[in-house]
Amino acid sequence: MNEDFRKQPPLKLAERPFSISKPFETHLENGLKIIIFEDSKLPLVSYRLAFRFGEIDDNNRQLSIMTSMMKEGTEKFSSKQLADETDKYGASISIGSSSDDTIIAASSLSIYQSEMLDLIAEVLFKPNFPEDELELKKQNSIEGLKFNRSDAGFLADERFSKIVYGEHPYSITSPTVSQLENITREDLIALHTEKFIPNIATFLVVGDVNKDELLAELKAKFGDWKQGSVVSKDFTSVPQRTKKTLTIVDRADSAQSNIVIGNLGIKRTDEDYFSCLVMNQILGSGATSRLFMNIREDKGYTYGAYSSFDKRKLTGTFEATAEVRNEVTGAAMTEFFYELNKIRDENVSEDDINLAKSYLTGVFPLRVETLEGLMGQLVSQELFDLPKDYLETYRENIEAVTIEDVKRVAQKYIDVEKIAIVVVGDKKDILSQIESFAENIETFDVEGNLIS
Amino acid sequence: MSTKLNIAPIKIEKFTLENGLRVVLNDDNSSPVVSVAVYYDVGSRNERKGRDGFAHLFEHMMFQGSENIPKAGHFQHISRAGGTMNGTTASQRTNYYETLPASQLPLALWLESDRMKSLNISQENLENQRAVVIEEKRQRYDNQPYGQVFDLLTEMVFVNFANSHSTIGSVEDLNAATLDDVSDFFRVYYAPNNAVLTVSGSFEIDLAKELIEKYFASIPRQPMPPEIDVSEPTEVALKHRIWEDKLAPLPAFLIGWKIPPRRTKEFNALYLAGKLLYDGESSRLFQKLVKGEESVLQLFGFTDERRGPSMATIGAIPKPEQDVKQIRQVIFDEIENISNNGVSLEEMYKLQNQLRNDEVRSRQSSLGRARQLAEFTLYDNEPELANTEIENYLSITAEDIRLAVNKYLKTDNRSELDVIPVSKK
Repeated sequence: MNEDFRKQPPLKLAERPFSISKPFETHLENGLKIIIFEDSKLPLVSYRLAFRFGEIDDNNRQLSIMTSMMKEGTEKFSSKQLADETDKYGASISIGSSSDDTIIAASSLSIYQSEMLDLIAEVLFKPNFPEDELELKKQNSIEGLKFNRSDAGFLADERFSKIVYGEHPYSITSPTVSQLENITREDLIALHTEKFIPNIATFLVVGDVNKDELLAELKAKFGDWKQGSVVSKDFTSVPQRTKKTLTIVDRADSAQSNIVIGNLGIKRTDEDYFSCLVMNQILGSGATSRLFMNIREDKGYTYGAYSSFDKRKLTGTFEATAEVRNEVTGAAMTEFFYELNKIRDENVSEDDINLAKSYLTGVFPLRVETLEGLMGQLVSQELFDLPKDYLETYRENIEAVTIEDVKRVAQKYIDVEKIAIVVVGDKKDILSQIESFAENIETFDVEGNLIS
Repeated sequence: MSTKLNIAPIKIEKFTLENGLRVVLNDDNSSPVVSVAVYYDVGSRNERKGRDGFAHLFEHMMFQGSENIPKAGHFQHISRAGGTMNGTTASQRTNYYETLPASQLPLALWLESDRMKSLNISQENLENQRAVVIEEKRQRYDNQPYGQVFDLLTEMVFVNFANSHSTIGSVEDLNAATLDDVSDFFRVYYAPNNAVLTVSGSFEIDLAKELIEKYFASIPRQPMPPEIDVSEPTEVALKHRIWEDKLAPLPAFLIGWKIPPRRTKEFNALYLAGKLLYDGESSRLFQKLVKGEESVLQLFGFTDERRGPSMATIGAIPKPEQDVKQIRQVIFDEIENISNNGVSLEEMYKLQNQLRNDEVRSRQSSLGRARQLAEFTLYDNEPELANTEIENYLSITAEDIRLAVNKYLKTDNRSELDVIPVSKK
């Protein structure tokens, strides 16, 4: 049999149309924004009550404790009863915060819609922050902080954030032990009252629901929620970097070095967002990127080398990262700088940019295949205040990026002369390989103390 | 019990090519995407002594090119098409899969068939991927606190080498692997008659059949791989061990039990018992240890599902200065409590809802369906189990759980691993 057909990749079949209908949007009288997307493929519902405040809006860093305490006792239920009430429906509720936002997330079979809305209302409106639960939470969080210090990734992230963000609140990746120790029940009640207000919140529901019935239920359960005043905060500006720095976190007995090379990037709504997305796709996103091909597939120094821009409301970061064996820490850094310089100095090829664009546009339908995937998209559109036509214009925004744009944003955001290098590893094994990468080297211990 | 949920069954069409490749199709037009999964009936359980970790090293070689696809070509073709892909190795099987826009089904079949037919094996690629796998081992196991403890526990529970050794392997054995090992392994295990191909998502059944015939039918059948013996004595291999962990911040312990194979009534009952003991904040041990006594920072457990003897695990990371022995005793007491008093109606109601919820959730993505169908076909020759296996779980009674706990967990025939941090200062 003639097998010549194998020599070339096959032609694709007819495209199957991809479209997402616009979700329904409205506001309740108290300002609570509602977004509903009906999807009855499966009897599931996903809920998000998203608030436009985050950890940086709370100087005392009590938010993560406050949100986790909302499930530890309410007027009606004890901590155990809340767990039983949620688990008995096979459902889940979690409350979490990030730097920029706070989200109550829940999901369940659609037959339990009313029960879930009741539970969300209960933890939202009626938490009573029991003293004994708070003591346990504080104690466990303090142990958890110590625990984090055994993790090389945590140490790298902590140090890098401090270096690039200086006095800006994004520099803080976790509360301190003394901040945790000092939290009182009254603090949590005050914080809860101040922050959980409808006029900075959006309730998103995706799944097997009837819009009108759901809306009536949301009005009944969340319509009496009182507005509050929104305090806007000004943050210290992010520092300007003046030189290249090398910082070592000395972690004895490390089997690898965690390398982070980066600096400040862009905010999510920056006009350079799409250019950065395409540039980063070529440089360090996924298995076709230059960093992966060079440092893993050619050199075999690592299981994976990547770069990324993180997505934040205010200025985010650009980072290139890998975990490499101790003996090749210096050699891997040489390859990182080779690639960072190359994408700044040389035009990428037509093929490079086309590959990046076709991935970024083609993969979109895959990202919204599940309820949680679609929900993630809707939540980030909402919280980052992306334009209404974001989904419709996504493809043309990617297509519009040029080879010149890629070079321009590489030069603008990958400032190799002033870049921050953080290496978490066993200093005695790696210092001689990496000391030539910057004029001054600072060393911290795993507890975060400056040693030299 | 709860309101009956009506979940439409997954549509299944199955056939076998002349060369023995088993194919399962699930057309589902809910999203314009398609997932293709190829499962090979080979995992670390098929490795020979001195080649620990080889099945996984081989998996990496499958991304290094084939007759018509250069090194890195696989990644690039998928990426250019807007797809995602991966491969994973476990004790029971090795899988490869991709999800793509629906129009790209031929591309996935072309890529999967080319490497099944004509893998490109070179010393250079072997050396490179050997280095990558050793870095993977360092990153995921050696440089993580507690990174090696699950593999250590598995070694303590199982006696038979096929069951007991780790999937990631040892640096020594990885270094011993030769190019001949790679080509032998490919010939013996990567034959169409030792594999399952599933396609799930938006596509025309007839066209898919035609394409599968075109790309896969000419790949020659091979003699069936040697049968393996995974039988185990009742007794665990080792009852107690102390492991000094250089990176762990706190002591920890794990307990392992040997339990019956997957899809037996007893296995299913023990899986449910595990959920009641440690899964979620309403679980018995969470309420006793994390709450209650407040002695434990982290509680965990899982049921390792195998075609032969399987394994149940419970472990904890106690807070500093806590009496580990006492915490372990609470776990044994709770097991004893279930074996004496059984489980409550409320607990059974919770389990049934959790099972239904997990079942519906697992069907959301084309890849989830493709993987589930492939697994049931590979292990049981019965993809329909993707629709019906939940009934077996739902039919487990409180008494079944009590009996299984009494027989398999309430026993001294168990392995206990104590993890001790060693000071580096």
